[in-house]
Amino acid sequence: MISWSSELLHWWEYLYVFTVKEIKARYKKAIFGFIWILLNPLLQMLVIGFIFQFFVPVKVNNYFLFLFVGLLPWNFFSYSVTKNTPMILNERNLIKKAKFPRETIIISIILSNLFHLLISWFILFLALIVNKILNEHYALPQLIGYSLRLLLTLPILGWLTGLTVAFSLLFSALNVKYRDINFIVQAIMPLWFYATPVIFTLQILPKQFGQFLYINPVTGVVELLHAIILNQPVLNIFWVIVDFFVSVCFLVLSWYVFKREAKYFDDWI
Amino acid sequence: MKRKVVDQNISITLKDVTKVYQLYHDKPTLVERLFNRNSIEEFTAVNHLSLHIKQGQKVAIMGRNGSGKTTLLKLICEISHPTTGKVSHSGKIVSLIDLEAGFHPEMTGYENIYLNGTVVGMDRKEIRQKIDQIIEFAGIGKFIDSPVYTYSSGMMLRLGFSIAVHADPDILILDEMLAAGDIDFQKKSVKKIQQFFQQNKTVITVSHNLEFLEKHYDRFIWMNKGKIIDDGGKEIVKKYLKSKI
Repeated sequence: MISWSSELLHWWEYLYVFTVKEIKARYKKAIFGFIWILLNPLLQMLVIGFIFQFFVPVKVNNYFLFLFVGLLPWNFFSYSVTKNTPMILNERNLIKKAKFPRETIIISIILSNLFHLLISWFILFLALIVNKILNEHYALPQLIGYSLRLLLTLPILGWLTGLTVAFSLLFSALNVKYRDINFIVQAIMPLWFYATPVIFTLQILPKQFGQFLYINPVTGVVELLHAIILNQPVLNIFWVIVDFFVSVCFLVLSWYVFKREAKYFDDWI
Repeated sequence: MKRKVVDQNISITLKDVTKVYQLYHDKPTLVERLFNRNSIEEFTAVNHLSLHIKQGQKVAIMGRNGSGKTTLLKLICEISHPTTGKVSHSGKIVSLIDLEAGFHPEMTGYENIYLNGTVVGMDRKEIRQKIDQIIEFAGIGKFIDSPVYTYSSGMMLRLGFSIAVHADPDILILDEMLAAGDIDFQKKSVKKIQQFFQQNKTVITVSHNLEFLEKHYDRFIWMNKGKIIDDGGKEIVKKYLKSKI
Protein backbone atom coordinates (compact mmCIF):
# COMPACT_ATOMS: atom_id res chain seq x y z
CA MET A 1 0.00 0.00 0.00
CA ILE A 2 1.24 3.47 -0.86
CA SER A 3 1.54 5.70 2.18
CA TRP A 4 -0.83 8.56 2.75
CA SER A 5 1.75 11.32 2.31
CA SER A 6 3.08 9.97 -0.95
CA GLU A 7 -0.49 9.75 -2.23
CA LEU A 8 -1.01 13.41 -1.36
CA LEU A 9 2.23 14.30 -3.11
CA HIS A 10 1.02 12.47 -6.19
CA TRP A 11 -2.28 14.30 -5.99
CA TRP A 12 -0.45 17.65 -6.27
CA GLU A 13 1.69 16.24 -9.04
CA TYR A 14 -1.40 15.43 -11.11
CA LEU A 15 -2.96 18.79 -10.33
CA TYR A 16 0.23 20.66 -11.26
CA VAL A 17 0.80 18.83 -14.55
CA PHE A 18 -2.85 19.12 -15.62
CA THR A 19 -2.97 22.81 -14.72
CA VAL A 20 0.21 23.61 -16.64
CA LYS A 21 -1.21 21.66 -19.60
CA GLU A 22 -4.41 23.67 -19.46
CA ILE A 23 -2.60 27.02 -19.35
CA LYS A 24 -0.17 26.08 -22.11
CA ALA A 25 -2.92 24.68 -24.33
CA ARG A 26 -4.70 28.00 -24.08
CA TYR A 27 -1.70 29.90 -25.38
CA LYS A 28 -1.22 27.42 -28.20
CA LYS A 29 -4.65 28.15 -29.57
CA ALA A 30 -4.13 31.90 -29.84
CA ILE A 31 -0.90 33.82 -29.77
CA PHE A 32 -2.54 36.52 -27.71
CA GLY A 33 -4.38 34.02 -25.58
CA PHE A 34 -4.13 36.26 -22.61
CA ILE A 35 -5.35 39.41 -24.37
CA TRP A 36 -8.68 37.71 -24.92
CA ILE A 37 -9.08 37.09 -21.21
CA LEU A 38 -9.00 40.83 -20.58
CA LEU A 39 -10.67 41.91 -23.82
CA ASN A 40 -13.74 39.77 -23.26
CA PRO A 41 -14.87 41.38 -19.98
CA LEU A 42 -13.82 44.81 -21.27
CA LEU A 43 -16.12 44.48 -24.27
CA GLN A 44 -18.88 43.09 -22.08
CA MET A 45 -18.41 45.99 -19.73
CA LEU A 46 -18.66 48.54 -22.53
CA VAL A 47 -21.75 47.00 -24.12
CA ILE A 48 -23.64 46.28 -20.91
CA GLY A 49 -22.55 49.58 -19.41
CA PHE A 50 -23.67 51.55 -22.43
CA ILE A 51 -27.09 49.90 -22.59
CA PHE A 52 -27.94 49.46 -18.94
CA GLN A 53 -26.99 52.92 -17.74
CA PHE A 54 -30.24 54.03 -19.37
CA PHE A 55 -32.34 51.36 -17.70
CA VAL A 56 -30.85 50.54 -14.36
CA PRO A 57 -30.95 53.32 -11.80
CA VAL A 58 -27.87 52.05 -9.97
CA LYS A 59 -26.42 54.56 -7.58
CA VAL A 60 -22.70 54.05 -8.03
CA ASN A 61 -19.99 56.56 -8.82
CA ASN A 62 -18.56 54.67 -11.72
CA TYR A 63 -20.97 52.19 -13.28
CA PHE A 64 -18.38 50.88 -15.74
CA LEU A 65 -15.93 50.08 -12.98
CA PHE A 66 -18.76 48.54 -10.96
CA LEU A 67 -19.56 46.25 -13.91
CA PHE A 68 -15.95 45.28 -14.47
CA VAL A 69 -15.39 44.31 -10.82
CA GLY A 70 -18.41 41.98 -11.03
CA LEU A 71 -17.83 40.66 -14.55
CA LEU A 72 -14.31 39.34 -13.97
CA PRO A 73 -15.26 36.96 -11.13
CA TRP A 74 -18.58 36.08 -12.75
CA ASN A 75 -16.87 35.12 -16.00
CA PHE A 76 -14.38 33.02 -14.07
CA PHE A 77 -17.21 31.23 -12.29
CA SER A 78 -19.54 30.69 -15.22
CA TYR A 79 -16.80 29.78 -17.68
CA SER A 80 -15.27 27.23 -15.29
CA VAL A 81 -18.55 25.58 -14.34
CA THR A 82 -19.82 25.43 -17.93
CA LYS A 83 -16.56 24.02 -19.19
CA ASN A 84 -16.25 21.50 -16.38
CA THR A 85 -19.76 20.06 -16.50
CA PRO A 86 -19.10 17.71 -19.47
CA MET A 87 -15.40 17.36 -18.61
CA ILE A 88 -15.48 13.76 -17.33
CA LEU A 89 -17.02 12.64 -20.61
CA ASN A 90 -14.59 14.76 -22.65
CA GLU A 91 -11.64 13.20 -20.87
CA ARG A 92 -12.95 9.65 -21.07
CA ASN A 93 -9.76 8.56 -22.84
CA LEU A 94 -7.71 9.56 -19.85
CA ILE A 95 -10.14 8.04 -17.36
CA LYS A 96 -10.33 4.71 -19.14
CA LYS A 97 -6.57 4.56 -19.35
CA ALA A 98 -5.34 4.79 -15.80
CA LYS A 99 -6.20 5.18 -12.18
CA PHE A 100 -5.64 8.68 -10.83
CA PRO A 101 -7.66 11.09 -8.70
CA ARG A 102 -10.39 12.22 -11.11
CA GLU A 103 -11.07 15.50 -9.33
CA THR A 104 -7.65 16.81 -10.40
CA ILE A 105 -8.97 17.11 -13.97
CA ILE A 106 -11.79 19.37 -12.78
CA ILE A 107 -9.73 21.43 -10.35
CA SER A 108 -6.93 21.96 -12.88
CA ILE A 109 -9.38 23.69 -15.24
CA ILE A 110 -10.43 25.98 -12.39
CA LEU A 111 -6.84 26.74 -11.36
CA SER A 112 -5.85 27.63 -14.91
CA ASN A 113 -8.83 30.00 -15.10
CA LEU A 114 -7.93 31.38 -11.70
CA PHE A 115 -4.45 32.08 -12.99
CA HIS A 116 -5.92 34.20 -15.78
CA LEU A 117 -8.38 35.87 -13.42
CA LEU A 118 -5.56 36.88 -11.09
CA ILE A 119 -3.60 38.45 -13.94
CA SER A 120 -6.63 40.54 -14.93
CA TRP A 121 -7.28 41.30 -11.27
CA PHE A 122 -3.80 42.71 -10.72
CA ILE A 123 -4.05 44.79 -13.87
CA LEU A 124 -7.28 46.16 -12.42
CA PHE A 125 -5.44 46.94 -9.15
CA LEU A 126 -2.74 48.74 -11.07
CA ALA A 127 -5.29 50.85 -12.93
CA LEU A 128 -7.09 51.69 -9.67
CA ILE A 129 -3.88 52.69 -7.92
CA VAL A 130 -2.68 54.79 -10.86
CA ASN A 131 -6.06 56.49 -10.87
CA LYS A 132 -5.72 57.32 -7.16
CA ILE A 133 -2.29 58.84 -7.75
CA LEU A 134 -3.19 60.87 -10.83
CA ASN A 135 -6.72 61.99 -10.05
CA GLU A 136 -6.91 62.02 -6.28
CA HIS A 137 -3.24 62.72 -5.53
CA TYR A 138 -2.93 60.06 -2.86
CA ALA A 139 0.17 60.29 -0.68
CA LEU A 140 2.25 57.22 0.09
CA PRO A 141 0.60 56.20 3.40
CA GLN A 142 -2.83 56.55 1.84
CA LEU A 143 -1.69 54.45 -1.11
CA ILE A 144 -0.41 51.68 1.14
CA GLY A 145 -3.70 51.66 3.03
CA TYR A 146 -5.61 51.54 -0.23
CA SER A 147 -3.45 48.72 -1.62
CA LEU A 148 -3.92 46.67 1.53
CA ARG A 149 -7.64 47.20 1.21
CA LEU A 150 -7.54 45.91 -2.36
CA LEU A 151 -5.61 42.84 -1.22
CA LEU A 152 -8.57 42.00 1.01
CA THR A 153 -10.34 40.89 -2.17
CA LEU A 154 -7.98 37.93 -2.55
CA PRO A 155 -9.51 35.79 0.23
CA ILE A 156 -12.90 36.61 -1.32
CA LEU A 157 -11.63 35.23 -4.63
CA GLY A 158 -10.53 32.18 -2.63
CA TRP A 159 -14.12 31.77 -1.49
CA LEU A 160 -15.30 32.08 -5.09
CA THR A 161 -12.77 29.44 -6.16
CA GLY A 162 -14.09 27.04 -3.53
CA LEU A 163 -17.62 27.67 -4.73
CA THR A 164 -16.55 27.09 -8.33
CA VAL A 165 -14.92 23.79 -7.32
CA ALA A 166 -18.09 22.76 -5.50
CA PHE A 167 -20.46 23.40 -8.44
CA SER A 168 -17.99 21.95 -10.96
CA LEU A 169 -17.48 18.72 -9.04
CA LEU A 170 -21.19 18.23 -8.47
CA PHE A 171 -22.30 18.98 -12.03
CA SER A 172 -19.50 17.03 -13.70
CA ALA A 173 -20.18 13.97 -11.55
CA LEU A 174 -23.93 14.11 -12.14
CA ASN A 175 -23.46 14.67 -15.87
CA VAL A 176 -21.90 11.22 -16.16
CA LYS A 177 -25.14 9.53 -15.17
CA TYR A 178 -27.54 12.18 -16.39
CA ARG A 179 -26.29 13.56 -19.67
CA ASP A 180 -28.84 16.36 -19.77
CA ILE A 181 -27.24 18.10 -16.77
CA ASN A 182 -24.94 19.72 -19.31
CA PHE A 183 -27.88 21.27 -21.17
CA ILE A 184 -29.53 22.29 -17.94
CA VAL A 185 -26.36 24.08 -16.80
CA GLN A 186 -26.05 25.83 -20.16
CA ALA A 187 -29.66 26.94 -19.85
CA ILE A 188 -29.47 28.23 -16.29
CA MET A 189 -26.13 30.03 -16.59
CA PRO A 190 -27.57 33.17 -18.28
CA LEU A 191 -30.42 33.23 -15.73
CA TRP A 192 -27.90 32.78 -12.94
CA PHE A 193 -26.08 35.85 -14.25
CA TYR A 194 -29.19 37.95 -13.64
CA ALA A 195 -29.63 36.39 -10.21
CA THR A 196 -26.20 37.73 -9.25
CA PRO A 197 -25.72 41.45 -8.55
CA VAL A 198 -23.24 42.06 -11.39
CA ILE A 199 -25.14 44.67 -13.39
CA PHE A 200 -27.26 45.98 -10.51
CA THR A 201 -27.09 46.41 -6.75
CA LEU A 202 -29.39 44.54 -4.39
CA GLN A 203 -30.54 47.92 -3.04
CA ILE A 204 -32.44 48.81 -6.21
CA LEU A 205 -34.60 45.68 -5.94
CA PRO A 206 -37.87 45.58 -3.98
CA LYS A 207 -37.03 44.94 -0.35
CA GLN A 208 -37.86 41.23 0.05
CA PHE A 209 -36.58 40.36 -3.38
CA GLY A 210 -33.06 41.59 -2.63
CA GLN A 211 -32.77 39.26 0.37
CA PHE A 212 -34.09 36.43 -1.76
CA LEU A 213 -31.02 36.58 -4.06
CA TYR A 214 -28.78 35.43 -1.19
CA ILE A 215 -30.00 31.92 -1.97
CA ASN A 216 -27.42 32.19 -4.73
CA PRO A 217 -24.10 32.13 -2.83
CA VAL A 218 -22.27 33.96 -5.63
CA THR A 219 -24.28 37.01 -4.53
CA GLY A 220 -22.30 37.24 -1.29
CA VAL A 221 -18.99 37.05 -3.16
CA VAL A 222 -19.82 39.77 -5.68
CA GLU A 223 -21.31 42.05 -3.03
CA LEU A 224 -18.17 41.83 -0.91
CA LEU A 225 -15.95 42.61 -3.90
CA HIS A 226 -18.07 45.65 -4.68
CA ALA A 227 -17.90 46.66 -1.03
CA ILE A 228 -14.12 46.46 -0.84
CA ILE A 229 -13.22 48.06 -4.15
CA LEU A 230 -16.06 50.55 -4.61
CA ASN A 231 -17.23 51.19 -1.07
CA GLN A 232 -20.67 49.90 -1.97
CA PRO A 233 -22.88 49.11 1.03
CA VAL A 234 -23.76 45.45 1.60
CA LEU A 235 -27.51 44.84 1.79
CA ASN A 236 -27.42 42.32 4.60
CA ILE A 237 -24.08 41.22 6.04
CA PHE A 238 -25.74 38.45 8.05
CA TRP A 239 -26.84 36.64 4.89
CA VAL A 240 -23.40 37.14 3.34
CA ILE A 241 -21.89 35.29 6.30
CA VAL A 242 -24.55 32.58 5.96
CA ASP A 243 -23.65 32.32 2.27
CA PHE A 244 -20.05 31.70 3.24
CA PHE A 245 -20.87 28.83 5.58
CA VAL A 246 -23.35 27.37 3.11
CA SER A 247 -20.54 27.44 0.51
CA VAL A 248 -18.18 25.54 2.81
CA CYS A 249 -20.79 22.86 3.54
CA PHE A 250 -21.68 22.67 -0.13
CA LEU A 251 -18.02 22.15 -1.07
CA VAL A 252 -17.69 19.27 1.39
CA LEU A 253 -20.90 17.71 0.12
CA SER A 254 -19.96 18.05 -3.56
CA TRP A 255 -16.52 16.62 -2.92
CA TYR A 256 -18.09 13.64 -1.20
CA VAL A 257 -20.58 13.06 -4.03
CA PHE A 258 -17.84 13.33 -6.62
CA LYS A 259 -15.54 10.89 -4.83
CA ARG A 260 -18.38 8.42 -4.40
CA GLU A 261 -19.41 8.66 -8.07
CA ALA A 262 -15.83 8.69 -9.38
CA LYS A 263 -15.46 4.98 -8.61
CA TYR A 264 -18.06 4.19 -11.22
CA PHE A 265 -17.19 6.74 -13.92
CA ASP A 266 -15.65 4.00 -16.02
CA ASP A 267 -18.97 2.11 -16.13
CA TRP A 268 -20.85 5.00 -17.62
CA ILE A 269 -18.54 6.66 -20.10
CA MET B 1 12.92 9.23 -1.19
CA LYS B 2 11.24 6.31 -2.83
CA ARG B 3 13.99 3.79 -3.50
CA LYS B 4 13.24 0.65 -5.33
CA VAL B 5 13.35 -2.31 -3.00
CA VAL B 6 12.72 -5.82 -4.19
CA ASP B 7 9.44 -6.44 -2.52
CA GLN B 8 8.37 -10.03 -2.17
CA ASN B 9 4.86 -8.94 -1.34
CA ILE B 10 3.87 -7.48 -4.66
CA SER B 11 0.68 -9.29 -5.36
CA ILE B 12 -2.90 -8.96 -6.44
CA THR B 13 -5.85 -10.32 -4.52
CA LEU B 14 -9.47 -10.43 -5.60
CA LYS B 15 -11.97 -11.64 -3.02
CA ASP B 16 -15.39 -12.73 -4.20
CA VAL B 17 -15.55 -9.94 -6.77
CA THR B 18 -18.68 -9.24 -8.77
CA LYS B 19 -19.07 -6.50 -11.35
CA VAL B 20 -22.52 -5.66 -12.63
CA TYR B 21 -23.06 -3.17 -15.44
CA GLN B 22 -26.34 -1.44 -16.10
CA LEU B 23 -27.35 -1.53 -19.70
CA TYR B 24 -28.88 1.47 -21.37
CA HIS B 25 -30.26 1.74 -24.84
CA ASP B 26 -29.98 5.50 -24.95
CA LYS B 27 -27.92 8.14 -23.29
CA PRO B 28 -28.96 8.23 -19.64
CA THR B 29 -30.70 11.48 -18.73
CA LEU B 30 -32.24 13.03 -15.66
CA VAL B 31 -35.48 13.83 -17.46
CA GLU B 32 -35.89 10.19 -18.43
CA ARG B 33 -35.11 9.09 -14.92
CA LEU B 34 -37.79 11.37 -13.51
CA PHE B 35 -40.58 10.70 -15.97
CA ASN B 36 -39.93 7.29 -17.31
CA ARG B 37 -38.85 4.79 -14.73
CA ASN B 38 -37.85 1.92 -16.93
CA SER B 39 -36.63 -1.24 -15.35
CA ILE B 40 -32.90 -1.28 -15.91
CA GLU B 41 -31.31 -4.25 -17.57
CA GLU B 42 -28.21 -5.54 -15.92
CA PHE B 43 -25.23 -7.46 -17.12
CA THR B 44 -22.89 -9.36 -14.87
CA ALA B 45 -19.41 -9.16 -16.37
CA VAL B 46 -17.54 -10.75 -13.49
CA ASN B 47 -19.34 -13.15 -11.22
CA HIS B 48 -18.13 -14.00 -7.68
CA LEU B 49 -14.54 -14.32 -8.73
CA SER B 50 -11.63 -14.86 -6.38
CA LEU B 51 -8.04 -14.78 -7.49
CA HIS B 52 -4.58 -14.40 -6.06
CA ILE B 53 -1.58 -13.52 -8.20
CA LYS B 54 1.89 -13.68 -6.67
CA GLN B 55 4.87 -11.60 -7.60
CA GLY B 56 6.67 -12.69 -10.74
CA GLN B 57 3.87 -14.79 -12.12
CA LYS B 58 3.22 -14.52 -15.82
CA VAL B 59 -0.50 -14.82 -16.08
CA ALA B 60 -2.38 -15.31 -19.31
CA ILE B 61 -6.13 -14.87 -19.32
CA MET B 62 -8.01 -16.71 -22.02
CA GLY B 63 -11.64 -16.81 -22.94
CA ARG B 64 -14.04 -15.89 -25.66
CA ASN B 65 -15.27 -12.40 -26.38
CA GLY B 66 -17.52 -11.23 -23.58
CA SER B 67 -16.17 -13.64 -21.00
CA GLY B 68 -15.14 -10.79 -18.70
CA LYS B 69 -11.40 -10.66 -19.39
CA THR B 70 -11.11 -6.94 -19.98
CA THR B 71 -13.39 -6.17 -17.06
CA LEU B 72 -11.12 -8.27 -14.88
CA LEU B 73 -8.09 -6.28 -16.06
CA LYS B 74 -9.89 -3.01 -15.38
CA LEU B 75 -10.76 -4.18 -11.88
CA ILE B 76 -7.15 -5.10 -11.22
CA CYS B 77 -5.96 -1.68 -12.45
CA GLU B 78 -8.60 -0.03 -10.24
CA ILE B 79 -9.94 1.87 -13.23
CA SER B 80 -13.21 0.13 -12.49
CA HIS B 81 -14.56 -0.67 -9.03
CA PRO B 82 -16.31 -3.90 -8.12
CA THR B 83 -20.02 -3.92 -7.35
CA THR B 84 -19.34 -6.28 -4.46
CA GLY B 85 -16.17 -7.88 -3.16
CA LYS B 86 -12.71 -6.54 -2.70
CA VAL B 87 -9.73 -5.94 -4.97
CA SER B 88 -6.35 -5.12 -3.52
CA HIS B 89 -2.84 -4.96 -4.84
CA SER B 90 0.58 -3.76 -3.85
CA GLY B 91 3.19 -2.40 -6.23
CA LYS B 92 2.89 -0.09 -9.19
CA ILE B 93 0.59 -1.22 -11.96
CA VAL B 94 1.02 0.08 -15.47
CA SER B 95 -1.31 -1.02 -18.20
CA LEU B 96 -0.52 -1.02 -21.88
CA ILE B 97 -4.19 -0.53 -22.69
CA ASP B 98 -5.10 2.46 -24.87
CA LEU B 99 -1.54 3.55 -25.48
CA GLU B 100 -2.41 6.49 -27.66
CA ALA B 101 -4.99 7.78 -25.22
CA GLY B 102 -4.34 10.75 -22.99
CA PHE B 103 -2.31 12.81 -25.40
CA HIS B 104 -3.21 16.43 -25.86
CA PRO B 105 -3.15 17.01 -29.63
CA GLU B 106 -2.02 20.63 -29.54
CA MET B 107 0.90 20.09 -27.24
CA THR B 108 4.31 18.91 -28.33
CA GLY B 109 5.54 15.36 -27.91
CA TYR B 110 7.87 16.63 -25.22
CA GLU B 111 5.08 18.23 -23.20
CA ASN B 112 2.91 15.18 -23.71
CA ILE B 113 5.54 12.94 -22.15
CA TYR B 114 5.09 14.89 -18.93
CA LEU B 115 1.32 14.70 -19.20
CA ASN B 116 1.07 11.03 -20.10
CA GLY B 117 3.94 10.07 -17.81
CA THR B 118 2.10 11.56 -14.88
CA VAL B 119 -1.06 9.70 -15.80
CA VAL B 120 0.75 6.37 -15.73
CA GLY B 121 2.18 7.19 -12.32
CA MET B 122 5.59 8.83 -12.70
CA ASP B 123 6.47 12.08 -10.98
CA ARG B 124 8.16 14.99 -12.73
CA LYS B 125 11.58 14.17 -11.33
CA GLU B 126 11.36 10.63 -12.60
CA ILE B 127 10.22 11.82 -16.02
CA ARG B 128 13.06 14.35 -16.21
CA GLN B 129 15.56 11.58 -15.56
CA LYS B 130 14.08 9.26 -18.15
CA ILE B 131 12.92 11.62 -20.84
CA ASP B 132 15.91 11.08 -23.12
CA GLN B 133 15.50 7.32 -22.91
CA ILE B 134 11.78 7.64 -23.63
CA ILE B 135 12.36 9.79 -26.71
CA GLU B 136 15.18 7.56 -27.90
CA PHE B 137 13.12 4.38 -27.51
CA ALA B 138 10.06 5.84 -29.22
CA GLY B 139 12.18 6.90 -32.19
CA ILE B 140 10.19 10.07 -32.73
CA GLY B 141 13.25 12.11 -33.76
CA LYS B 142 12.71 15.73 -34.72
CA PHE B 143 8.96 15.44 -34.22
CA ILE B 144 9.38 15.55 -30.45
CA ASP B 145 9.04 19.35 -30.55
CA SER B 146 6.02 19.29 -32.85
CA PRO B 147 2.41 19.14 -31.68
CA VAL B 148 1.07 15.63 -31.41
CA TYR B 149 -1.68 16.21 -34.00
CA THR B 150 1.05 16.12 -36.62
CA TYR B 151 2.00 12.57 -35.57
CA SER B 152 0.99 9.45 -37.43
CA SER B 153 -0.96 6.89 -35.40
CA GLY B 154 2.13 4.68 -35.36
CA MET B 155 4.19 7.45 -33.80
CA MET B 156 1.58 8.03 -31.11
CA LEU B 157 1.50 4.34 -30.27
CA ARG B 158 5.27 4.21 -30.10
CA LEU B 159 5.45 7.21 -27.81
CA GLY B 160 2.66 5.81 -25.64
CA PHE B 161 4.37 2.45 -25.39
CA SER B 162 7.70 4.02 -24.60
CA ILE B 163 6.24 6.14 -21.78
CA ALA B 164 4.37 3.18 -20.27
CA VAL B 165 7.32 0.81 -20.19
CA HIS B 166 9.64 3.45 -18.77
CA ALA B 167 7.28 3.98 -15.84
CA ASP B 168 9.05 1.04 -14.25
CA PRO B 169 5.98 -0.95 -13.24
CA ASP B 170 5.98 -3.85 -10.80
CA ILE B 171 2.91 -5.24 -12.48
CA LEU B 172 2.44 -4.92 -16.22
CA ILE B 173 -0.94 -5.34 -17.85
CA LEU B 174 -1.13 -6.14 -21.54
CA ASP B 175 -4.38 -6.28 -23.48
CA GLU B 176 -3.83 -8.25 -26.70
CA MET B 177 -0.41 -8.28 -28.27
CA LEU B 178 0.98 -5.01 -29.41
CA ALA B 179 1.25 -4.29 -33.03
CA ALA B 180 2.74 -0.86 -32.68
CA GLY B 181 4.79 0.64 -35.43
CA ASP B 182 6.96 -1.06 -38.02
CA ILE B 183 8.82 -4.34 -37.75
CA ASP B 184 11.85 -2.73 -36.13
CA PHE B 185 9.74 -1.22 -33.40
CA GLN B 186 7.79 -4.43 -32.89
CA LYS B 187 11.06 -6.26 -32.32
CA LYS B 188 12.14 -3.57 -29.91
CA SER B 189 8.90 -3.76 -27.96
CA VAL B 190 8.91 -7.55 -27.74
CA LYS B 191 12.47 -7.31 -26.44
CA LYS B 192 11.41 -4.77 -23.85
CA ILE B 193 8.55 -6.97 -22.68
CA GLN B 194 10.88 -9.94 -22.49
CA GLN B 195 13.09 -7.82 -20.24
CA PHE B 196 10.13 -7.48 -17.92
CA PHE B 197 9.73 -11.26 -17.99
CA GLN B 198 13.35 -11.70 -16.97
CA GLN B 199 13.18 -9.06 -14.24
CA ASN B 200 10.68 -11.22 -12.39
CA LYS B 201 7.92 -8.70 -12.79
CA THR B 202 4.33 -9.72 -12.69
CA VAL B 203 2.80 -9.70 -16.15
CA ILE B 204 -0.88 -10.17 -16.85
CA THR B 205 -2.07 -10.51 -20.41
CA VAL B 206 -5.31 -10.98 -22.22
CA SER B 207 -4.81 -12.38 -25.67
CA HIS B 208 -6.16 -14.68 -28.33
CA ASN B 209 -2.65 -15.36 -29.56
CA LEU B 210 -2.31 -18.72 -27.81
CA GLU B 211 1.03 -19.53 -29.41
CA PHE B 212 2.62 -16.48 -27.86
CA LEU B 213 0.97 -17.15 -24.52
CA GLU B 214 2.14 -20.76 -24.38
CA LYS B 215 5.69 -19.69 -25.06
CA HIS B 216 6.05 -16.96 -22.47
CA TYR B 217 3.56 -17.53 -19.69
CA ASP B 218 3.42 -19.91 -16.77
CA ARG B 219 -0.07 -19.53 -15.40
CA PHE B 220 -3.20 -19.77 -17.46
CA ILE B 221 -6.66 -18.70 -16.44
CA TRP B 222 -9.61 -19.70 -18.53
CA MET B 223 -12.65 -17.50 -18.15
CA ASN B 224 -16.22 -17.91 -19.27
CA LYS B 225 -19.30 -15.85 -18.35
CA GLY B 226 -17.41 -13.92 -15.70
CA LYS B 227 -16.17 -17.00 -13.89
CA ILE B 228 -12.92 -18.88 -13.81
CA ILE B 229 -13.42 -22.24 -15.49
CA ASP B 230 -9.90 -23.44 -14.95
CA ASP B 231 -6.62 -22.16 -13.56
CA GLY B 232 -3.27 -23.82 -13.87
CA GLY B 233 -0.27 -24.54 -16.09
CA LYS B 234 0.12 -25.08 -19.83
CA GLU B 235 -2.35 -27.98 -19.89
CA ILE B 236 -5.15 -25.44 -19.62
CA VAL B 237 -4.37 -24.13 -23.11
CA LYS B 238 -5.02 -27.56 -24.62
CA LYS B 239 -8.26 -27.95 -22.69
CA TYR B 240 -9.34 -24.53 -23.85
CA LEU B 241 -8.55 -25.35 -27.47
CA LYS B 242 -10.49 -28.60 -27.31
CA SER B 243 -13.54 -26.98 -25.81
CA LYS B 244 -13.58 -24.44 -28.57
CA ILE B 245 -14.04 -27.01 -31.28
